[in-house]
Amino acid sequence: MRIRWAILGVLILQCIPAGAQQSLSERERARVETIQRISPSVVCVMSSSGDGGGSGVLISADGLCISNYHVTSGSGNFMKCGLNDGRVYDAVIMGIDPTGDVALIQLLGRTDFSFARAGNSDFVKTGDEVMALGNPFLLASDFSPTVTYGIVSGVHRYQYPANTFLEYTDCIQIDASINPGNSGGPLFDISGTWIGINGRASFEKRGRVNSGAAYAISVNQVLRFVDHLRAGLIVDHGRTEFTVETSDADEVRISQVSELSEAWRRGLRPGAVLLSFAGRQLTSANEFQNILGTFPEGTRLPFSWRDDGGVHSATVRLGPLHSFQKAPELPAERRPPRPDQEQPDSGETPAVAEDELPEEIRKLFVEKDGFCNFYFNEQQRLKRIKPLRVRTESVGSPEATWKVRFEMEGTTPAVTGELAIGPKTIGMKLGDTAWLQQVGDPKAEEEPPGMAGLLIAMNQLRRLFSADTAAFGEITAFGSTVHLPLARELQILLSREGIRTGRWYFEEEEVLPVALDLEYETGIDEVRLVFENWKDWSGVVFPERIGIVNSTTEEISWLRVSDAVRQD
Amino acid sequence: MSRIQACVFLMLSACLSDVVHGQSVSEKIPADPQAVIVKLFGAGVGNLDSYGTGVLVSKAGHVITVANHLVSTGFLTAVTLDGRRFSAETIATSTEFDLALLKLKTDGDEEFPFMDPALAKDVAPGTPILAYSNMFRVAVGNEPVSVVHGVISASIPLEATQGRWKFPVKSPVWLIDAITNNSGAAGGLLTDESGAPIGLIGREIRQASSRTWVNYAVPMTVLKPVIAGMLEGRKLETRPRDADLTAMLTDQEMTTRYGLTLLPSVIERTPAYVDAVVPESPAGRAGFRRGDLILLIGDSVITSVTDVQKRMAEYRPGQKMSFTVDRDKELIALDLTAGQGGNGR
Repeated sequence: MRIRWAILGVLILQCIPAGAQQSLSERERARVETIQRISPSVVCVMSSSGDGGGSGVLISADGLCISNYHVTSGSGNFMKCGLNDGRVYDAVIMGIDPTGDVALIQLLGRTDFSFARAGNSDFVKTGDEVMALGNPFLLASDFSPTVTYGIVSGVHRYQYPANTFLEYTDCIQIDASINPGNSGGPLFDISGTWIGINGRASFEKRGRVNSGAAYAISVNQVLRFVDHLRAGLIVDHGRTEFTVETSDADEVRISQVSELSEAWRRGLRPGAVLLSFAGRQLTSANEFQNILGTFPEGTRLPFSWRDDGGVHSATVRLGPLHSFQKAPELPAERRPPRPDQEQPDSGETPAVAEDELPEEIRKLFVEKDGFCNFYFNEQQRLKRIKPLRVRTESVGSPEATWKVRFEMEGTTPAVTGELAIGPKTIGMKLGDTAWLQQVGDPKAEEEPPGMAGLLIAMNQLRRLFSADTAAFGEITAFGSTVHLPLARELQILLSREGIRTGRWYFEEEEVLPVALDLEYETGIDEVRLVFENWKDWSGVVFPERIGIVNSTTEEISWLRVSDAVRQD
Repeated sequence: MSRIQACVFLMLSACLSDVVHGQSVSEKIPADPQAVIVKLFGAGVGNLDSYGTGVLVSKAGHVITVANHLVSTGFLTAVTLDGRRFSAETIATSTEFDLALLKLKTDGDEEFPFMDPALAKDVAPGTPILAYSNMFRVAVGNEPVSVVHGVISASIPLEATQGRWKFPVKSPVWLIDAITNNSGAAGGLLTDESGAPIGLIGREIRQASSRTWVNYAVPMTVLKPVIAGMLEGRKLETRPRDADLTAMLTDQEMTTRYGLTLLPSVIERTPAYVDAVVPESPAGRAGFRRGDLILLIGDSVITSVTDVQKRMAEYRPGQKMSFTVDRDKELIALDLTAGQGGNGR
């Protein structure tokens, strides 16, 4: 074997012109250095009792680690993780994305972990050299990762769920060896930039070993979910309320549209040709599925279509795909491998039951329906809510009414109006017309035309500022998204109150929200508001400008606040 | 930039400009090997796949692939890189070289990018290669097929089998150090890093003595005259030469002639169960169904797949063959007329 390789080596060298030999050895040295640099970020993930196993990759100094859902799903809520320093760290599950086969865990005990730097997987091309690092066959007892090398065999691949809910969309196909145990481990490009998570391979008649066709979840998809995962969620993927098919003319044709959907209200009808989705041009229904699968539920995405009336564009919010309330079960063949059954338990990794873990670790997991680990959601929520409450404390008086005078920008003569946001009623006067709404029983028909939902939204804003914890049925951290039309990545707090779902958008470092999207009734467009320049008025914290997004045109019309006072 | 990347980049850039490449590499080498690959879809047989790969070898739409079950069952559809679908008919097959020539059916004078077999390059072991194929049917529609990298390990005569079938090519073949021969990869293209054609990826088969899966490609230099002959319409040897196959119908012949596929004859006494029946084929019209167990042909008792293949080869074209089959514990009589070339010599 060794001789054959030596001969091959000589032959290869002979094929290469003399000048290239230097660069070949330079390349080898660079590769060796790269592997040394990235290896500390590669994690061997085991269950808390030390059996089962897969791989993972550290993405932050405080120990956040991405792996596959099918790796962590059998490991319980706590696991043991080995790094290439030979040490074993305790870890706790944070969030899961069962459909995308992604899980986020946190390694404990250090704040200076080495971590991988993410690249942009949209730039990955067929033919690029790649390296897969991980723990195939659970080989390394000292946790130094196994490195396999290959090229990108294809990009934008789609792999069907195949007897499960695990769907690989828009993934990177590679010919580097991927074997059981590699799952969850990172895929790097040749310069050591993290571009994917190795999770699946085409296994067939030759058994569950490398077949030269493996698939990595793109890092761009993973990053879209990572803030959701940090919030302890069972993150769902999205669906549209219309379906598509590839037509004979190789166009993506709309086959069905729900009449209660946002897309229908924007004018999308069966027979129209879908031209782009999420900013990507489409040539097949498969491609649409590919793009759709890379976004979490609730994401608002732009799309364009063509019909008899010409070319149109609009945005839609993705609805939930599976709505898992608990972590779903996987079929046995998708579970991580176990160490060689014939080998007697060496006892090197002590089996620890969860109740034997120290209290400071055990408290990092809180079970709650609809969440993977409610502890982390609570942390994220408090991080947002606490400063918000401190900031709005002065206006928190339950009996106070806020009186806000405003002017509609761009109207001549200027149209002025007044809002009265009180504990029992919300009222608005615009010119000679007035609207009044009961706080406890808001009705969609009581909303001013052209600004539908504004009163209910003011009702919700008052609740957000209220110190009363029962103001919402539920308020949770919900990750982050690129807000439209602001086109900025913002953090989300999700509030629920009756049938009303509010998405409050925050800049990472700011206390008050920059936007609110509120679904307040089925079959009616959300009210979408943008807040600018929060200011302390006379006892009221209120923005200087409120933008109302027109869902048909995606344009913002502005109300300029001229005065706001508190009346106790 | 790495060499592989550089190579793929060159292939792509050559696509945009013919001039760039003029001096170093022949202009006739397809700018992007992906453009000359077609994805093939047809009928699967038993555990053999219903998809494969082919390489365009003429402007008019001739395609070469491996002469496997996919070709013999007919009903082939070929999908080009731009996502267009064509039905393909088999023009010629060579059992000796395990090669088939297909022709895409077009409406008019459509022109295809193609790989000119005359550019076939002879290489030495150690040469880095790229293998393009529709393995595992990962690519559909207008998606490019999978590319795998590797090195030519050796040039050796290959003794390999697939069930009763024996690999027929006598010339040495390329052994490859990568897993190129996967499901659906047969008929894919092996190129060197400049994109020059060096081989046609073969079947998913095992080496005869070690029973290990072999990754091989038949050298394009070996296939070059065969393809040329097929394109010129020369008569070719299409009968299997192997002595012990001559007195019986092959699986392929059963399927092509009658639309009847039995279980693969993996053991000596594989029971003669019908595994697949092509609709509207002679077997389909005669009423054969999947799961039928053939018990008698005429008066001969049938105990294995091999018995069926031997017995059917004894009939002359036009003769009636009376089958008795067991279908859910019921005996059913079915008649089939021996087809063209039904006499297996």
